[in-house]
Amino acid sequence: MAEIQLQGVSKKYSPKDERYAVEHLTYTIPDGSFVSLLGPSGCGKSTTLNMIAGLESVTDGSIVVDGRAVEDLEPHKRDLAFVFQDYALYPHLSVADNIAFGLRMRKLPKAEIEQRVLEAATKLELENHLRRRPKALSGGQRQRVALARAIARRPGVLLFDEPLSNLDALLRDKTRAELKILHAEIGATSVYVTHDQEEAMSLSDRIAVMSAGRLEQYGTPAEIYRTPATEFVAGFVGKPRMNIVDAAAVGPHRVRIEGTDLEVDVPDADLTGCDTVRLGLRPTECSLAPGTAAEHDGTVLVVEPLGNATDVLVQVADGEFVVREPGFSSRRPGDPVRLDTRAAAPHVFDARTHQRL
Amino acid sequence: MIARTLIHRALVVLLVLYLVVPFGWMVVYSAFPSSNLRSVRMDLSPADLTLASYTALLSDSTFLVPIRNSLIVAAATTLICMALGSLCAYVFARFRFRGQQTLLLGMMAVQAIPAVVLAVPLFVLLRSFGLYDSMLGMILTYTAFILPLVIWMMVSFFESIPVNLEKAARVDGCTRLGIVRRVVLPLSGPGLAATSIFAFITAWSDFFLAKVLTSNNTPLLPVRTAAFQGIFAMDYTAAATAGVITALPVLVLALLAQKWIVQGITEGAVKG
Repeated sequence: MAEIQLQGVSKKYSPKDERYAVEHLTYTIPDGSFVSLLGPSGCGKSTTLNMIAGLESVTDGSIVVDGRAVEDLEPHKRDLAFVFQDYALYPHLSVADNIAFGLRMRKLPKAEIEQRVLEAATKLELENHLRRRPKALSGGQRQRVALARAIARRPGVLLFDEPLSNLDALLRDKTRAELKILHAEIGATSVYVTHDQEEAMSLSDRIAVMSAGRLEQYGTPAEIYRTPATEFVAGFVGKPRMNIVDAAAVGPHRVRIEGTDLEVDVPDADLTGCDTVRLGLRPTECSLAPGTAAEHDGTVLVVEPLGNATDVLVQVADGEFVVREPGFSSRRPGDPVRLDTRAAAPHVFDARTHQRL
Repeated sequence: MIARTLIHRALVVLLVLYLVVPFGWMVVYSAFPSSNLRSVRMDLSPADLTLASYTALLSDSTFLVPIRNSLIVAAATTLICMALGSLCAYVFARFRFRGQQTLLLGMMAVQAIPAVVLAVPLFVLLRSFGLYDSMLGMILTYTAFILPLVIWMMVSFFESIPVNLEKAARVDGCTRLGIVRRVVLPLSGPGLAATSIFAFITAWSDFFLAKVLTSNNTPLLPVRTAAFQGIFAMDYTAAATAGVITALPVLVLALLAQKWIVQGITEGAVKG
């Protein structure tokens, strides 16, 4: 078991680069927890994972596993296993040999290798496929072989690089649940890279949201959803995406959405000295009411029925605003509507620094 | 639709005939007594089929020595090219270093110089090193010509192996050389086979450099085969037999490896 500490970890791919690919990451991944690195592509999350694994060098800072700095150790001396997006199964080896490869490299006794291979294969329901080559398996089976290979080593740390993104949607949901059960069973500290916020929310004990090489927020899924630390986190986490609009401060705890006369109370933020801010409202927490030609906040642009809910895209002043209504909606494009935000928890961000106010 | 398919088939048959008939003719020549072929009406009755010219040639030491020489030269060239070439190619495929592209292109540019241009300088060079008319001289010369091509071919094979496989092997505990041995080489089997066959065939069937750089000391098979075409006399049967014997290894290897060779050529073509 292992606790991972990142201490000011930075990465430049070339000394000539002006920008860091990953900049000054400092946080602790508790022993036995499941932590996701979440962010859009190119945000440095995979680089971070590769640095923890030892597949990329660390430019500055230190990675400490169980009190021991590991940044200069070879990957195989770090007691970890890696699950790749494309599975990275050795095509010339059978499933059993794939699972056994790392054990053989560690010169374990033959009997123990056999026993561990069987155990891992049984756990992932692969015992009937042990002699087949990866090519003969389906995508989901390959993914399970990759997982079996990882857990057979019984590492203290399991690293996942978008392991589900090559699976189709149905299989992805199923495997996601299996992953969660697997983690509960084996209890290894797990670091999981994904760009899918739903995946991160559903799997993780904690999430590290990254953007442009920097850590935006590190917290539990609830913290990240309820109190996003930056405008980026607010926009990235939650589906449908949070509406984030310009608003003018009209009092220490009250703002008006730019271009409308719609005012919103923001009791938790102190806007003294602020001029304009960014206001975030979740589509699921807002509602619409019919308006008239004379009195309305906006007009309906698009109606997207989803079955259990309907997303209504409303033109508000110069911008667009999404409201998720329950069930099927009877609204039509062009309808004038009033926007009701009283039930919404408002999120206010500094217009310049994009930090939560 | 059917007409188009028929035309297509007919053209393919014509093309195959065009390519195969001369070779077939050579085989025919080698397998019948020359008297049958010289008569006004050619007599190709199966009863006269004979391997006499083969037994004659294969018991002629002036023919066996060139076969042995060519085998040694081609095999040694192949071994050296594969050993050096695959390691070089791995470095080109997986490491980034200054001058990488220039080096790779430079190797290819050298290939554009025709052998005719290099023959005389090579002759002078080999002679001054005492390597003229020796197997070592020929091995070194062929290696110089074939190694760049081997590297070029192997680079594209290695590049087609997913990097993540190597990362997985590193996490599993392999060293760099361990990765090459346990993951990269087993996976580039087809590439290795195609490239070595290519190297062997090139060294085996070269005539021009062998003609210029060897003499009586180290006779090589293509030169010996050509020698049947004398100035005063011409032994068609023996020449054809020697031709078949020279071509046979090439043919067998090419047929064995055709799948890999096509893969090798297309991979090189797409990525190069």
